[in-house]
Amino acid sequence: MSLLEDLKDAVIEMEDEKTPELTQKALDEGNTPEAILKKALVPAMDFVGDQFEKGKRYVPEMVLSAQAMKAAMKLLRPLLAESGIEPKGIVVIGTVEGDLHDIGQNLVAMMLEGAGFEVYNSGTETTADEFVKAIKEHNANIVGLSALITTTMTHMPEVIERIEDAGLRDKVKVIIGGAPVDQDYSDEIKADGYASDAGSAVKLANKLIEG
Amino acid sequence: MITSNQMFYRTPQFQIFSESEREMIYSAALEVLETAGVQIERKSALTLLENAGARIEGNKAYIPSYIVEEAVRNAPRKILIYDRNGNPAMRLESTHYYFGTGSDTPHFLDSYNNEIRRTVHKDIGNVAKLVDALPNLDFLMSLGLIWDEKVSMTDLYQFQEMLFNTTKPIVFTAHDLKGTKDIIKMASIAAGSEDELKKHPFIINYIEPTSPLVETKEPIDKLLYCAEQGIPSLYTPTISAGSTAPATLAGTIIQALAECLSGVTMAQLNKKGAPVLIGGVISAMDMHSGSFIYGGPDFHLMCAGMNEMSSYLGLPVYGTAGCTDSKAIDEQAAIEGVFSINLQALSGGNLIHDVGYIASGLIGSLDMVTMCDEIIAMTKRIMRGIEVDKEHLAVETIRRVGPKGSFIADKHTMRHFKDQQWYPELMDRKNYDKWAAAGKKSCGQRINEKVKRILKEHKPEPLEKSKQDEIMKLINSEAKTRKVRY
Repeated sequence: MSLLEDLKDAVIEMEDEKTPELTQKALDEGNTPEAILKKALVPAMDFVGDQFEKGKRYVPEMVLSAQAMKAAMKLLRPLLAESGIEPKGIVVIGTVEGDLHDIGQNLVAMMLEGAGFEVYNSGTETTADEFVKAIKEHNANIVGLSALITTTMTHMPEVIERIEDAGLRDKVKVIIGGAPVDQDYSDEIKADGYASDAGSAVKLANKLIEG
Repeated sequence: MITSNQMFYRTPQFQIFSESEREMIYSAALEVLETAGVQIERKSALTLLENAGARIEGNKAYIPSYIVEEAVRNAPRKILIYDRNGNPAMRLESTHYYFGTGSDTPHFLDSYNNEIRRTVHKDIGNVAKLVDALPNLDFLMSLGLIWDEKVSMTDLYQFQEMLFNTTKPIVFTAHDLKGTKDIIKMASIAAGSEDELKKHPFIINYIEPTSPLVETKEPIDKLLYCAEQGIPSLYTPTISAGSTAPATLAGTIIQALAECLSGVTMAQLNKKGAPVLIGGVISAMDMHSGSFIYGGPDFHLMCAGMNEMSSYLGLPVYGTAGCTDSKAIDEQAAIEGVFSINLQALSGGNLIHDVGYIASGLIGSLDMVTMCDEIIAMTKRIMRGIEVDKEHLAVETIRRVGPKGSFIADKHTMRHFKDQQWYPELMDRKNYDKWAAAGKKSCGQRINEKVKRILKEHKPEPLEKSKQDEIMKLINSEAKTRKVRY
């Protein structure tokens, strides 16, 4: 088996301690960072994602595979940047002001990373200003807003307003998620989309980037 | 009958933990508080704990077991809750059990067109009216979180709808400390005065810590305020094995217990004897969907285990039942409703909430509430057990009627059949022809008809007009001053 196949298997088998070493070896053997990404890491996460959709894999297994990929990406990302290869998309994600519930959004962040996005996770209780700052700092083209509580959900339109005020609204797609929100709410507050779970969030992000 | 050393079971027996296992679990919860610590985001609460002898590092409190154990001793082992008219309604202690709805679901299953839509203001009044009419529901929570009012005002409108449409006790949720104070004011008006409310509390404040082991500002403020005011509160997590707690059932119960006890400790340090309930929604994350589980044997076991721990500690407990992950009032809803209600009664949950939750707690349903009312009635009959005494053994009756006789009009039958047998309202026992002639209705259809009938016909005892006016005045003045956000 080739090194790239070993690396792909290591991601599928959730071996985050092996993936950096295998990635380094693959580079030493002369594989380009782009080839490693496209021939090993992306197909591995595609496989894992497909298994998850079919109910053959569980959330913790998805998370561990994403972590194994992330460990490899740590080595690859600077090299990819050097050779002028942009990430598929840059995402800033966070739970809105006043809300401490971040399990869902952490899951989305990991799944997006697994799908090849560069993700900056602002964590819980992120204010509108902090979102704007992070979008500018990382040059993000997608921002993900999460809320579990209906009383904090109302910070979502505030964040969108602040993004508009900063003149960034044309540059960044806003996606929302969390238990109380739905597609109607997304339409009402003029977000670019809503996803009901982590898998759908990745599909939505892909669609928005391609669109 | 002359006998000695007899023992009678007044109810069916159910037990998960042995005495040694309970001791191990309590001891483990104490160890968690002492060694893992609790993150406390309100300085005043950290100071309370520090003065009592807890070790504080940054915003973490490491609470030695002696402080927690003293708090457990100081906390009342029973809380008497009254109805809106000041009559005793619930004795929250030991294994007395009472059922009520859950609160704040953003969506509602409309009983008139079977569609799922956003919860609106008038839904809450309907919840209260329905609970007021259903005999097996003892208290209520809003069931829904309304969308058609300013978000900053929803807690007050929800409470007002409950207050105006039932006399049963209310477990309320408030946005913040201000909301808590306003709701206590509204309840005081209904009770006649603040003193009257304190003497005969008919409201309980729902307060929730954040798992794992985080106590944020608003919940602490509410808890300490209610402790000072003598208003009963519950300090209970919604905890998720495998994501916000260990994957093991015992580990999750231990962490939940530690979270509850940190609240009990803060409340007792602030005001000795403050009435606080422990318990919560002790469940797990579904590792396929990421959903928080509201139906399933692991969840039912953990909630039952928590009830046993509260009995062991002598603290009243807030249980969970009558809820489902199903999106419809279907077979799954019924199965999960039955298991949860049965196990909660068997394990002695005191204040058992979330009746009427469907879709993993995200949708409220009046049909689910009504189906569960009948499940609770059946469960109550099971909980009455089988009486074993001379009259119930009925040997004399069997002898009197004798071989080939008939019991049907016997005086013993007349004495007992109504009390010994349980009669359903929604279950169907007609013969086929009669059932067919009545329209071949499914249980779901019969449930739905009952909901609509109650909403149409039931007239709850109104709150005096002058009190209603005073409460509306308070709400309208709040509506002008509360910061409005979208």
